[in-house]
Amino acid sequence: MLTVVKNQVRVCLLSVKYNIMREMLNKVTFLSNILFMVLNNATFLIQWTILLSLREDVGGYTMREILILWGLAASSHGLSHVLFARVFSLPELVINGKLDAYLVQPKSVLLGVMTSSTSASAIGDVVYGFLLLCLSGCGFGGFCLFLLFTVTGAVVIIAFALLLGSLSFWFVRADVLQNNLVNGMISFATYPDGIFEGPVRFLLYRVIPVGMAIYQPVHVIAAFEPHALLEVVGYAALLMTVAVFVFYRGLRRYSSSSLMAARM
Amino acid sequence: MKAIKARELSKTFRVRRKEKGMYGSIKSVFSPKAEEIRAVDKISLTVEEGEILAFIGPNGAGKSTTIKMLTGILYPDSGSVEVLGIDPTKKRRQLAYEIGTVFGQKEQLWTHLTPYDNFLFFGAIYDIPGREARMRIRELEDVFELGDLMDTPVRSLSLGQRIRCEMAASLIHRPRVLFLDEPTIGLDPVVKENVRSLIRRMNREMDTTVFLTSHDVGDIEKLCQRIVIVNHGKIVLDDSTAHLKGGDVSLEKVIMEIYQSEGGRPEAS
Repeated sequence: MLTVVKNQVRVCLLSVKYNIMREMLNKVTFLSNILFMVLNNATFLIQWTILLSLREDVGGYTMREILILWGLAASSHGLSHVLFARVFSLPELVINGKLDAYLVQPKSVLLGVMTSSTSASAIGDVVYGFLLLCLSGCGFGGFCLFLLFTVTGAVVIIAFALLLGSLSFWFVRADVLQNNLVNGMISFATYPDGIFEGPVRFLLYRVIPVGMAIYQPVHVIAAFEPHALLEVVGYAALLMTVAVFVFYRGLRRYSSSSLMAARM
Repeated sequence: MKAIKARELSKTFRVRRKEKGMYGSIKSVFSPKAEEIRAVDKISLTVEEGEILAFIGPNGAGKSTTIKMLTGILYPDSGSVEVLGIDPTKKRRQLAYEIGTVFGQKEQLWTHLTPYDNFLFFGAIYDIPGREARMRIRELEDVFELGDLMDTPVRSLSLGQRIRCEMAASLIHRPRVLFLDEPTIGLDPVVKENVRSLIRRMNREMDTTVFLTSHDVGDIEKLCQRIVIVNHGKIVLDDSTAHLKGGDVSLEKVIMEIYQSEGGRPEAS
């Protein structure tokens, strides 16, 4: 069992390495993608600095919490796109019958698919996230929690995208639903949850899982609560389990295609 | 021993139907229509170990769907299948260690990597330790005459060179059964001949069972001991190549006549 896991991890790491090698084929584009993503994110920070110079807090968030919020949103989003970018285009693979190459390999289809692509600009997101963490002045404990929540946040984002993307085994245009809800999740992740009330708050904690991916972790980093931490970890594990189950149920309906295709 | 056993294998696809034009698109939103296409209809066949079998038929006959069910890509709607005693629907991963696949129209290689890096990746996929993988790569390099290509990114190779690399990659784990779906499609006659001699060599030296689909009669004539013709999802002929070739009529003509008598559309080779 351990050998099976070890071999699977080896293949996943090789896949990520080859993806990054592909992105590095054009060094200027690769580096500028990362740099411009950091700069692009930084412009939003300027807006928040101006806003918080006018009032003490927004939705209960001071500058420290805003830095953690943006940092965590960027690093979770970045990590999910560096390692498992293909999950965000899963509907395209399913609809166009491009899973064949993964299905004839003696490894996990899901991991093979998800690790088959990366996003260079997402490296910029991860770098930016950790830069903000340094600026927020969190100590070693805060750093460890941030690291853990970057992983759980990425797991929730990937699981949510996988769950929605897997619907394309049943519905042709599940890609629209996946794009809208995942992008919505990322957008909401950059605002303090204190400004949302009533049904919107319910939506953000129960339907679009941004509450468990970002908001609750920010609260735990700001004021540690073991119960809330376990809730986040448990939620991430549960959502991923459901998403993987739905993917493999859907895979039985996969109908392949005769389209010409190359592994790009 | 039987390498492949398929019994009453069936697969139906649900295909959406839409009237042409914008009106048709709007109508299909409110009243979607779908039709069931029976791609494979109760196909039963067996293939002996070490045999080279041609599985042919006109476009849309059900060849690729059958191959995909035999390799675990598609789940059959009904019937049973065993490849080397393994059920692909239940033990897809276990079966993948024993079979190799080359789909002429679908590349499995990473185009930005060199063949060497690709082969190492495939070695990792099949759990081959580094030293062993490097040894097998050297063997494949010799057999497929890839010496000059090993350091060139796949995207810079010609089609024939790519197909050779695809085949080499699919053999790194020494599969006992090789599924080739139109491996010579788009190749020039010289490269086609090279690919054929490689298939023959694999079969002879490693006793590899080969399940081949091709529209090229040359592939069938020069490689296969047995021909199975499918049309409309059913097997319409299962005979030895020698028997079909007997007489003055060319194999191509015999196959064309069978296609036409079964109502299929013949393909020019």
